[in-house]
Amino acid sequence: MLNFIIRRLLIAIPTILIIILLSFLLMHSAPGGPFSAERSLPAEVLANIEHKYGMDKPVIEQMARYLWGILTEFDFGPSFKYKNQSVNDLIASGFPVTLTYGIWSFIFASLIGVTLGVIAALKHNTWLDYLATGGAIIGSVLPNFVMAPLLVLLFSVYLNWLPGGGWEGGKIQFVILPVIALATSYLAGIARITRSSMLEVLNSNFIRTAKAKGLPNHYIILHHALKPAMLPVLTSLGLSFVGMITGSVIIDQYFSTGGIGQHFVNAALNRDYSVIMGVTILVGSLTILFNLLVEVLYAWIDPRIRY
Amino acid sequence: MKTFPTLFAVFIFSSVLACSAALATAKIHPVTGEALAEDQTFIYRELDEFPSFDPQLIESVSEAAVVRDLFEGLFNQTPEGTLTPAMALRWETNDTKNVYTFYLRQNAKWSNGDPVTAHDFVYAWQRLVDPKLASPYSSYMELMSVKNASDIIKGNKPPSTLGVKAIDDFTFQAELSDSLPYFPTMLTHASTMPVPTKVVEKLGDQWTKPGNMVGNGAYVLTQHVINERLVRVRNPFYWNNENTIIDKVITLIINDDNQAFQRYQANEVDKTDVPTGQYKRQKKQRPDETFSNPRLCSYYYAYNMSKAPYNDIRVRKALSYTIDRDIITKNILAAGQIPAYTFTPGSTANFQVPDVDSAKMDQKQRIAKAKELMAEAGYGPDNPLKPTILYNTSEGHKKIAIAISQMWKQSLGVLATLENQEWKTYVNNRQQGNFEIARASWCGDYNEASTFLDVLRSDSDQNHSHYANSTIDRLLSEAKTMSDPNPNYSRIEEIIAEEAAIAPIYHYTNVIMLKPYVKGWPHQNVENRWYSKNIYITAH
Repeated sequence: MLNFIIRRLLIAIPTILIIILLSFLLMHSAPGGPFSAERSLPAEVLANIEHKYGMDKPVIEQMARYLWGILTEFDFGPSFKYKNQSVNDLIASGFPVTLTYGIWSFIFASLIGVTLGVIAALKHNTWLDYLATGGAIIGSVLPNFVMAPLLVLLFSVYLNWLPGGGWEGGKIQFVILPVIALATSYLAGIARITRSSMLEVLNSNFIRTAKAKGLPNHYIILHHALKPAMLPVLTSLGLSFVGMITGSVIIDQYFSTGGIGQHFVNAALNRDYSVIMGVTILVGSLTILFNLLVEVLYAWIDPRIRY
Repeated sequence: MKTFPTLFAVFIFSSVLACSAALATAKIHPVTGEALAEDQTFIYRELDEFPSFDPQLIESVSEAAVVRDLFEGLFNQTPEGTLTPAMALRWETNDTKNVYTFYLRQNAKWSNGDPVTAHDFVYAWQRLVDPKLASPYSSYMELMSVKNASDIIKGNKPPSTLGVKAIDDFTFQAELSDSLPYFPTMLTHASTMPVPTKVVEKLGDQWTKPGNMVGNGAYVLTQHVINERLVRVRNPFYWNNENTIIDKVITLIINDDNQAFQRYQANEVDKTDVPTGQYKRQKKQRPDETFSNPRLCSYYYAYNMSKAPYNDIRVRKALSYTIDRDIITKNILAAGQIPAYTFTPGSTANFQVPDVDSAKMDQKQRIAKAKELMAEAGYGPDNPLKPTILYNTSEGHKKIAIAISQMWKQSLGVLATLENQEWKTYVNNRQQGNFEIARASWCGDYNEASTFLDVLRSDSDQNHSHYANSTIDRLLSEAKTMSDPNPNYSRIEEIIAEEAAIAPIYHYTNVIMLKPYVKGWPHQNVENRWYSKNIYITAH
């Protein structure tokens, strides 16, 4: 097991390097640059700015300097757009926010999603199943960007119960709406996967055997059915978790939470090279890490899986 | 029965006490006598996070609004846009108007208690042109004609050679390479504001962080949460602190117009922008809160004159004439925008809008003239012109482009292709000349027509149309030193109209929602120079 983990971590290094290389080259091949604006800068002013950021050097050298900064000082460079902020500052300010609403959304989505899925599978083809499945479908066809304005309209403008946006250091009343908006879209998917996986397990031979042995229903579900049914759910939960804690552009923009989600879009539009690199590396590393974690959990859930 | 009158008397007495207590604490505006709200916090919305708060590094209007609260330059603007003394109590110039001397306020202090001196101005102005700081606005000092500014930016001379000096602690002098009569009006711009020399030297690029930042404005920065909020509170060292009413200013960053509007409805913000297409409705529903104020900004279509047939005046003029500005401003934008027939907005200080032909004709006459011109240029039903309109992706630009292409098609048989591009790609293609006709806009840096007309100088960095007219170049150079340059500006606009150098479409307005209890907002200031220290919140 330990061997496996070490092997996977070693493979992660070239993977991340490839991510860095690809995003660096893609970014630099996009037309325009961080300093192009409607009001074009005089050539000598542009030259001064490019020199300040080391952009007058060849791309290979820029890339090497960038990597060296990360390796030696864990410095992801200055933001090209936000002049007195470094990428580390931007991530340090935004990531805790995203982490907070991401973790809450994950708990909310996975608890309710799994419960709904299990109920739907157990009460297969009854009104409970239709209700849960129907609810899940509504959740998945109502995307964040529709859900968010509806929530604000209801809870902020009409009822005046909750603030329509902002964060204020993560006070509970500011967290609720972003969590509901983010969780609902994931919740539906989790419920559907749980339902179909649970149905498959409930129809398998070993469950029939358990029933034949006369075991009580709840015992069969908790001890025999739930664990194997969770395997595909776990894969999807792992990826959902990374998706949620690295934030959502819609949530950040709509609720003005200040999370890092919006950097994905804004930094790309601004050609803020270092910020794009920073957030891409962050998401890449977290994806690799959580995929590994999911695989380790597999072995724990299913004794047949050994690495 | 005796208890009732007693109780009543007690009740009356205590009510009187309570009232007088309330009167004693209620704040009254010292000039207007209006009752003021207990909580003097002003909350407004901005679209995007601020790239910087460093006076010499900022570029945008929204950053400048914050910097005007945190710092104060030689002059401020009145709501009407005229100069009012700020750090400079008075100024004088020589006969040739190339040396300006400013006598500074001696009681002005930085927010750490140090005095604001002429040396801080010298330091800030040198800093603006220093290639090491690499300010995107460094060329503003060239526009101001400060001696040696160009050479310093190019790296040919050290920043210390800039034509500025501190004659003594409170006398600041600027020497210009040319005489420039409107020099003082350029000095309300944020990039000319002083910075605290010692603090900047000591903290480097960390000096603008809350806690580090020291300013001489009415407010100090206390909190900055990236992409969420910015808080500034009163600076007790500000020279006019006792006449300042607003205690705290909060900027909320809300990327989405509709979301911002919802939060305005939920009373979470006091000022926001009206979402596109909502102006008419809001003006009807909330007439006291909805405003459309003129701005020094113009929206126009630029031709690429290095490509045929856009080097042909007849084609340019025909295309420009066919655009029905009234339909665009009244039916498409519908938020008080002003139809444009000249590049410079009529709201620009002292600018006399010339009577250009296109403005005098009605749309029928314009179209008739356009048809003639187009036929002369050799285009007709058998040989239609097929231009491409380049614009950056946006619902508003798209609507306008569709409308214009339809106007061209109906009147002239022109078959235009619309091409929308993501912002940076569009900017890149426009600047490199990869376009035929492009949507463009320009906002003035200072309230004087040259801030617009300089764009059309043949050697301007902003002239992506490759337009060149030696008469315009000459009139612009002359205007720089004239005591009243406005006849020249009017003449230039006439030439621009005669040659259809651009197709002006409309002049922008600031379309805002402002809570009725926010008073003192300078609606008539065309540069939108508002200062938190001048506004106040009435009891509500």
